[in-house]
Amino acid sequence: MSTDQSTPRVPDVENPQPTMPLTEDIRPGTANDPPVEIVERDRTADADRAATLTVDGESVTVSAESTLLDATEAIDTDDYVPALCSYDDHDEIGPRSECRTCMVETEEHGVVPSCSFPAEDGMTVRTDTTEASEARDVNLDLLLSNHNLRCTTCGKNGRCELQDVSIENDVAEPRYGVFDERDAYEPLDDSSPFIQIDRNKCILCNRCVEACNDVQVEGVLRIEGSGEDTRIGFQNDAETMMDSTCVSCGHCATVCPTGALVEQGLTDAATIPAPGFTQKNSIGKTVEAENDRFQPGQATPMKGDQGDESAAEPTAESPATEDD
Amino acid sequence: MATPKGAIGNEPVVRIAVGGEHDGTDRLNAARDTAETVDVVAVGPTGVEALAPLVLATRDGATAFLPRCTVEDARTAVEALEDGSLPDGGPTVEHDPTTSTLPLPPEETMVSTALTAGVRRALGGCGWQAPASVADYRTSCDGALLAEDGIDDPDAVHERVADAALRGRGRGDGSTDDPISGAWTTASETDGEPVVVVNANEADDHARADRLLLESAPLAVLDAALATAHAVDATDVLVYTNDTESLARERAQEAADALAAECDSPVPIQVVAGPDEYTAGEMTMALEAMEGNDRLEARRRPPGPAEYGLYGRPTVIHTPRTFAQVGQALAGEGLGGVPGDPGTRLFTVAGDVDAPATIELPTDATLADVRGAVALDGGLKTACVGGRFGGLTRDLDVPASASGLRGARLGTNGVIELFDESTCTVALAGRRAKLAREENCGRCVPCREGSKQLVDLLRDVYDGEYQDGMLRELARTMRETSTCEFGQEASRPVTTAMESFEPEFRAHADGRCPSGSCDGVSS
Repeated sequence: MSTDQSTPRVPDVENPQPTMPLTEDIRPGTANDPPVEIVERDRTADADRAATLTVDGESVTVSAESTLLDATEAIDTDDYVPALCSYDDHDEIGPRSECRTCMVETEEHGVVPSCSFPAEDGMTVRTDTTEASEARDVNLDLLLSNHNLRCTTCGKNGRCELQDVSIENDVAEPRYGVFDERDAYEPLDDSSPFIQIDRNKCILCNRCVEACNDVQVEGVLRIEGSGEDTRIGFQNDAETMMDSTCVSCGHCATVCPTGALVEQGLTDAATIPAPGFTQKNSIGKTVEAENDRFQPGQATPMKGDQGDESAAEPTAESPATEDD
Repeated sequence: MATPKGAIGNEPVVRIAVGGEHDGTDRLNAARDTAETVDVVAVGPTGVEALAPLVLATRDGATAFLPRCTVEDARTAVEALEDGSLPDGGPTVEHDPTTSTLPLPPEETMVSTALTAGVRRALGGCGWQAPASVADYRTSCDGALLAEDGIDDPDAVHERVADAALRGRGRGDGSTDDPISGAWTTASETDGEPVVVVNANEADDHARADRLLLESAPLAVLDAALATAHAVDATDVLVYTNDTESLARERAQEAADALAAECDSPVPIQVVAGPDEYTAGEMTMALEAMEGNDRLEARRRPPGPAEYGLYGRPTVIHTPRTFAQVGQALAGEGLGGVPGDPGTRLFTVAGDVDAPATIELPTDATLADVRGAVALDGGLKTACVGGRFGGLTRDLDVPASASGLRGARLGTNGVIELFDESTCTVALAGRRAKLAREENCGRCVPCREGSKQLVDLLRDVYDGEYQDGMLRELARTMRETSTCEFGQEASRPVTTAMESFEPEFRAHADGRCPSGSCDGVSS
């Protein structure tokens, strides 16, 4: 009997989800997450219907599609809820609910991530229970354990969300230490004249990927790898920013909560002068720009080639088609 | 399409078990070459590796067992039946000629006691019914297919499953340890056309029950899945297996074709493969794999697959083990077991044993019953119950129900690995933590970064520092805050080892490995 029957990985079933016609073939590398709003099975279709819940003893009313984080942000909570990876400035970015520094305790569902948990009418939420507080603190320290904490040479010093929440949360000594193995540092990607990438500062919040794919629809960035090898990579499998299809729009750097993606002009905008210390020598390894590949425009050479493919084809007049 | 020929009632017949770890395809070919008038039928494995490859020769209501059958034995068995006798050399059992389940010879006559350990209800047809023969399968459900009843009265299917309070089984089930009817109700009430997924993808080599069911009794699984599809008004049934498990996939496809030919159901059954990675069996990563995502990652929840599943459609996702129980509930027999978790559970017993065996225990039995199924080299020191991220225990006197296993802090994915005195529990827990560090999808911080710190804290034990408070705090956070079951369960081997074998952790910190198996303990 034959055992080499090949089976399609993608079944032939209807996909009712709308897909936008794209000029880019975008491979997101991230999960097809559900929408946040709770499916209102037992309610009438009234989108404006509010949910009233109790947060730290206080009654809070939010719109039906809100999260618990929206409810906690509406009042002064008893404990600080960092919600580091959460981004609420744009519909198409997050909530990713990856860092888990926003855990709160609910009577109904136990400890849950507030950034993505739908606010249900009648819920009772507490931010100050031992379990929720421990979970937030441990997860913030876990983030720091994999973060290159060289703030004084970082271009995002003073405008870094991780720095802000660490200060706000009174982190004096992260319990798992900080990422300080220079041998394990990834090289600084300084190849592009517009965006610098320092993956040693990346918390994998996915904001840059969503800004690039879902907002700008450029399809340059993606998450690649798994486990401890998970990293921000490029959809065209390039190793460096210069070899990617980046158009240097800068949206990724704008939404990045740390110093992982920084506009080149700002890489030393906020550093504290310390003799002999720069970001580059603190990392140790750098992928430098190649002078001969300096971008004439904002698009990388790869992106430029895409728009100019016909010019690369031999034409009737070109010497390649002529016989000797 | 004609349904494949069955084995039941067509005497004389030789059944050759094809599948499992000891594939009997060469025996099958030899027997077919030899046979002139005798039927030779490929059946699935029994789940008992010590007997494999197993050949059964049946005539006149009696079956001769030929465990560990050679090619030559298979030929001789066919010749014996051709001559009007039963082959010599193995135990023989008399039975009703139309029995739908494997008749069992007396325990003392067999080379393994695993067939007679526990009960064989979900496993009853394994090794006896021709996998894709609807005729054989019909003998076990009194003639009427569950899916046929499901078309006629879908609400009755849902009611019977709800009344039975049946709980989901195994890793990768949408309702693991929870009553499944809640997810059915949610899926059928959510906007969109529901899908039913049979999730058989499992990369843990010790967890073999789902693969066994698809190789040996795929019709029992698919018939129940099709009945479920009618109950929740689903438009598709998908069977999801590992990439490498081609026999399970092939038999599921044959069974799907046979079922479609017999049963006038508008719901198609498709068989698809996912990658052979441990994470690919997790329920939302299974959906991601089926959607063709280029990188597997757990989905954020809530809402779960019942509301937002394959392509965002409401999805009922269960393991073959759960569907086998659905089939038992719909067949109308009393499920038995404890009322809170009725029915049976399948356990594959592995580890330091002569040969792994998949056996079935009613939920009111205790795990200790598995000891009778296998021969353990040396004395039992530790059992890891519940798969790769199961709980470590010395004590198997634990009920085989979801609440019993959970109460004992053990896992409910049906695997029981038995380890002898030479196994170091600290090292065993450390290997499982390392697996978590290497295999996680990389999405959430408590799992991705937590598993790294977990391994580091265990390394510190070897360096002389046992920080039990730090370990417990980290394990708690991973359990409480990880996105999916992978991270929630990843620390369980460590925490249960700390509970039951704490002196060993202290000994390692003092530079000594009590079982003498760890190199590199500081001295």
